[in-house]
Amino acid sequence: MGRFQVKVRRQPRYILLDKCTGCGDCAQVCPVTMPSEFDEGMGLRMATYKPYAQAIPGGYMIDKRDRSPCTNACPNQVNAHAYVALIAQGKYREAMEVILGTLPFPGTIGRICPHPCETVCRRAEVDEPISVCALKRFVADQVDIEDLPVPEIEKRHEKVAIIGSGPAGLTAAHFLALEGYESTVFEAQSVAGGMLRLGIPDYRLPPAVLDKEIRAITRLGVEIRLNTALGRDVTIDGLFEEGYKAVYLAIGAHKSLKLGIDGEGAEGVIPGVDFLRKVNLGELSRIEGSTVIVGGGDVAIDAARSALRLGADKVTILYRRTKVEMPARKEEVEGALDEGINIEFLVAPSKIITSHNRVTAVECLRMELGEPDTSGRRRPVPIAGSEFILPAPLIIPAIGQQPDISPLEEIEGLELTRWQTIATDELTYATKRPGVFAGGDAVVGPWIAIGAIAAGREAAISISRYLKGEDLRAGREPEEIPQENFVPIPEKIERSPRAEQASLVMAERTAGFAEVELGLTEAQARAEAEKCLNCMACCECFQCVAACQAQAVDHSLKEEEINLEVGAVILAPGFETFDPSNYQEYSFSELDNVITSLAFERMLSASGPFQGHLLRPSDHKEPEKVAWLQCVGSRDINHCDHGYCSSVCCMHAVKQAVIAKEHANNGLETTIFFMDMRTFGKDFDRYYDRARDDHGVRFLRSRVHSIDPEPLTNNLIISYVDEAGNLKEEVFDLVVLSVGIQTPAELVKMSEQLGIDLDPDRFCSSSSFQPVATSRPGIFVCGAFQGPKDIPQAVMEASGAAAAAGSILAPARGTLAVCKDLVEESDIRGEPPRIGVFVCHCGINIAGIVDVAAVRDYASTLPYVAKVEDNLYTCSQDAQEQMLQVIKKHKLNRVVVAACSPRTHEPLFQETLASSGLNKYLLEMANIRNHDSWVHGNDPGAATQKAKDLLRMAVTKVALLEPLQETTVEITQSALVVGGGVAGMVASLHLADQGYPVTLVEAKSELGGHARQLRQTWRGEDVTVFLRDLVARVDDNSLIRVYLNSELQEVKGFVGNFQSKIRIGGSNGVKFATRRHGVAILATGGRTIKTDEYLCGQHSRVMRWHELEDAFEAGKLQEAASIVFIQCVGSREPQRPYCSKICCTFSIQQAIKLKATYPDMDVYILYRDIRTYGQREELYRRARAAGVIFIRYSLDEKPLVETDSEGGLRVVVKDHILQRPLVISPDFITLATAIETQGAESLSRLFKVPLNQDKFFLEAHAKLRPVECATDGVFLCGLAHYPKPLEESIAQAQGAASRAITLLARKTLQVSGQVAGVNPAKCSACGVCVEICPFGAPGFSDRGFAQINLALCKGCGLCVASCRSGAIDLKGFEDKQIFAMIEEL
Amino acid sequence: MAQVEKIDWQPRIVAFLCNWCSYGAADLAGISRLQYPPNIRVIRVPCTGRMNPKFLLAAFRQGADGIWVSG
Repeated sequence: MGRFQVKVRRQPRYILLDKCTGCGDCAQVCPVTMPSEFDEGMGLRMATYKPYAQAIPGGYMIDKRDRSPCTNACPNQVNAHAYVALIAQGKYREAMEVILGTLPFPGTIGRICPHPCETVCRRAEVDEPISVCALKRFVADQVDIEDLPVPEIEKRHEKVAIIGSGPAGLTAAHFLALEGYESTVFEAQSVAGGMLRLGIPDYRLPPAVLDKEIRAITRLGVEIRLNTALGRDVTIDGLFEEGYKAVYLAIGAHKSLKLGIDGEGAEGVIPGVDFLRKVNLGELSRIEGSTVIVGGGDVAIDAARSALRLGADKVTILYRRTKVEMPARKEEVEGALDEGINIEFLVAPSKIITSHNRVTAVECLRMELGEPDTSGRRRPVPIAGSEFILPAPLIIPAIGQQPDISPLEEIEGLELTRWQTIATDELTYATKRPGVFAGGDAVVGPWIAIGAIAAGREAAISISRYLKGEDLRAGREPEEIPQENFVPIPEKIERSPRAEQASLVMAERTAGFAEVELGLTEAQARAEAEKCLNCMACCECFQCVAACQAQAVDHSLKEEEINLEVGAVILAPGFETFDPSNYQEYSFSELDNVITSLAFERMLSASGPFQGHLLRPSDHKEPEKVAWLQCVGSRDINHCDHGYCSSVCCMHAVKQAVIAKEHANNGLETTIFFMDMRTFGKDFDRYYDRARDDHGVRFLRSRVHSIDPEPLTNNLIISYVDEAGNLKEEVFDLVVLSVGIQTPAELVKMSEQLGIDLDPDRFCSSSSFQPVATSRPGIFVCGAFQGPKDIPQAVMEASGAAAAAGSILAPARGTLAVCKDLVEESDIRGEPPRIGVFVCHCGINIAGIVDVAAVRDYASTLPYVAKVEDNLYTCSQDAQEQMLQVIKKHKLNRVVVAACSPRTHEPLFQETLASSGLNKYLLEMANIRNHDSWVHGNDPGAATQKAKDLLRMAVTKVALLEPLQETTVEITQSALVVGGGVAGMVASLHLADQGYPVTLVEAKSELGGHARQLRQTWRGEDVTVFLRDLVARVDDNSLIRVYLNSELQEVKGFVGNFQSKIRIGGSNGVKFATRRHGVAILATGGRTIKTDEYLCGQHSRVMRWHELEDAFEAGKLQEAASIVFIQCVGSREPQRPYCSKICCTFSIQQAIKLKATYPDMDVYILYRDIRTYGQREELYRRARAAGVIFIRYSLDEKPLVETDSEGGLRVVVKDHILQRPLVISPDFITLATAIETQGAESLSRLFKVPLNQDKFFLEAHAKLRPVECATDGVFLCGLAHYPKPLEESIAQAQGAASRAITLLARKTLQVSGQVAGVNPAKCSACGVCVEICPFGAPGFSDRGFAQINLALCKGCGLCVASCRSGAIDLKGFEDKQIFAMIEEL
Repeated sequence: MAQVEKIDWQPRIVAFLCNWCSYGAADLAGISRLQYPPNIRVIRVPCTGRMNPKFLLAAFRQGADGIWVSG
């Protein structure tokens, strides 16, 4: 405790926040669209995005997961994801550029690649893989590679010799050329392209396609020398002698493997690659009779289909395994079968039969599959006696190739492997001879073209590094790319078959070598590309990098590990909503119109997916009947293990129903299906009543059985059981599931790492007495991770956690603070205005629409404008520096910035003014972005005019601005706490722990308040012991001065400077004390009401609250056979329309205790709604299990309590399940009477703080400032705010102390210069301003005129507008300034 | 159906927007790129409590066709 080493892992945003201007240009060009998490999947966002419009920080970020499987599977890492995404956008040229980043042969590879990318495509989990390869070809067909500009490359003088013009050689040449190296490619054959040209038939790869792509390479300055063979025409030594500084051997594997059977040497046996070469070179143009091909690879299929085209009568392929194992491209196999080629599976040749050394037939053997071999494929085993004969004059063995090593054997220093390939370093492709590199099939044996291309690209890197004398290996170690974290596949996704290219009609196919596959149509390609699941989210197309003029995008950022040394840790990690998919009877995953409450919340939002329009997802029709189903994932141990109540769902369902009605155009019907309505918070019941009575929201107490689709509509049938047990059905057109809250699994893991305990519901363990402390000292918790709760409670706890941490850290306060040097302010009084105008382009955000130059020039024509500038980004660091210099140089005394919103950027520019010695209030902004260019994008002319108008108005106003002074108010370093109950004492101790003296005023003669009556918390913790300890700590604390029997008599002053007079009573007579204090905390608590209802006070056996506990402890209940609890006595009734919040839990706890002690006693609880919110629900469950009988009553049929003739008690209540009156004759009745405040009204007057309608103190903001009063420096906590259990009081007390300390810690208070000021000469002392100000700022001076207390003035101008004498004006928004702007309209 | 007359006239609208809510909402409209006609000129006020009836009269005198006070 007090000293933690914290290791934080920060994920990169890939966009630098200090440079990002939030303009969104990056998102505009991002091709990846995905469901927006913020809009619960109903809206879309880009992979480059801002989580939501109001997000803080306001910069963009990039969602990047593990590398997309397609890209990862490509031997050459061609970024398939990126080009597919760009195709979907119609950005073909950009797609082409992405491909060319690693692959100079898009059209070629797009035709012939066996596409490992498609094998791993996750779309196969939905339907079929994306046609990635065909999409690549599509792009190459759209964009003429020769049309792309040749980049400007600085030439280097070193020359490189490349042996072989196949894919490896040409790719190396391409990338070396891009590095500036001139290379010469030596090709033994008469055509360039290697296997691409000679090994692939024209019907698959038209030579024109390849030639074009080769021309694109030679454009870069690469020379190809044909008919020049290694060994025959050139040698390695000779090349070095000629001046080549490096040699790349890429000679391929053109030597066919032998079948190893008799007759193989006969005429009529032509190996596959030799056959294809002859065909491709035109040396073989006609064959006759049958042809038999042996093998199952691409060469075999190519040979077969070529043979057919050359005139063979019958073409048969022998393959020794089955179709499944066939290594050839599937498209090719299907093409061959379509063309009538016969494939004999599980057949191998055993002998070639010859006559006069000419082939006549082949003898074959049938095979069967045995055990798997080393390749994992099942080994073919010959079937004895299965020989058969196939007559054929042409046999083409195509069972594999190897490099022809004959020209290599004599090269000095070159080593070969035992597989007859060149030995190289695996990483660098360097051979043993310095300066000689090798790659492609010559190194790895025959492999796919994309593999050779990858090798060529790697070789280019190695050769470049070699020539520059750099380390060849640095940064090239293969890294393990994780393949786990992908964008999830959407649950609701349409299945469709993959796009297939049209192929040439059969008649035209076999007639010649015309290309068979015709490519995808544009419509096909776009639709296919749109099916991509965007596994990686960001596809790394880098369009954003190019689009960002602020150069804020950096894709190279990595996860960071940050080490922090801290004294305390606060956990506020929040919650997730329950996933309702496993409520099968609600069909959430299947039915579009069943949505979660969070999704509905987004639907209602103006910034949501439908701009706040109420539309149902299935057909975007406005719903007419909406149902809410409560307790989905809460109070349920059948579908999930969430026995607890999520606390917030009832209220948000009521709110959603009311707001939905407001958003709907015509009479929306809303129904909430619920078990108990738990609107227990402050003002919640009032809202519930209004929703029902004024708005007509229908509340249906029921149990929902199932949701089913209504046939032929998108409507939904809800089957439910009503309170009387009747099964009913009703049709709705939208159903909202009020999903509960839960702790996400990753937080469970985090808790283990942090060593803190969770409770069985997986919320962070804490005690009622230390609600923000975890099980590990020094680590604190707040919010829904501590337990289900709403925003006010979470905010109170957050402040409470800060107080708890602050208590530990108090000695270190201010030690890390750095003081800013202030520049002395120049006196501009009496100077004529010299205005500087700075017009911002905001990249293209303003300048793309508004004619910035015209606005700038216009500005220079305006009066008093001394200097005009325009900046790319006025907010950038260098522009700020420039502005500072310009202000000084041109002696400017007013500044106008025409840019974005003053709400976000005014402080920045004000700081620059201050740094230049100018008063910061001499600035005005013209909002020509948010209010102009962004909203009038389709009318640049009008937008420019508007920019000029806004600028003119700003210039006019700024000329009238005057320097304003900020007032400093000293803060008295002490606090006053009113109320010595638990809340008051806890607040006092936290203040004292942090070193601030406290005056604690208590009306009673001892500390403790109502906690003195409490025995146990609902969790069973001993309150007596806690309270004794708490009182002792207060008594012992030298900084806390306690005044008992005391009350406040008078309060003077304001924030930081209060002076209170305390009246001290007691047996020795009345005394008075006056204390000065900077802040005050009101913790005066509450009390239970006394009533005469239900014979209370008239019958000795009718009790209230703790009286039952007293009777129990006195043993008075031993003889009792039955006891009745009556809930909501005086609560939730017209005269007190609020819930007293703690009574249900209290009564149930008592009932359990009674049942445990007296199992035979009949215990009845008569209730309206059971409100055991949060984890208190566990008590309700235990009570029912223990046999406590719960009977619901309604407000219009309250229980009747009477005495019978013998003086006994009789209760009559209508049972809603049985629908008839029930008569109970209890021995005792106990009433949970309402809780109300005490003494609030007088304090309200003393501190000028308002009360709500129910006489509880009114906080400054129900959700965001729940412990502050509207009057500065006054805070509240405990039951004076609203009835609440002990742990909530304590958390709120800690919160109040924390908020009070934020003031005390500052020692002085800096007040804005934009405040009201009174001209006494005009003031008639009417007092309207004093009456009207909600902050109590105006008062009367000694001379009787109105006077504004600057410390309290919020600068709203209410007093200014209401002053009938015109005596008050608002600095910075003076009448003359606003009139001047109006004049310039 | 009534014939729609082609009108060249464009209204001039002045908006007095509270800094804390409506002015921020107008900013948000920009962030969300919601498009609206460019006929409006915004004057930022610290609170609509600052509004003086004379501002409205001045704006009308200046030729405003409509005034929108929002806060």
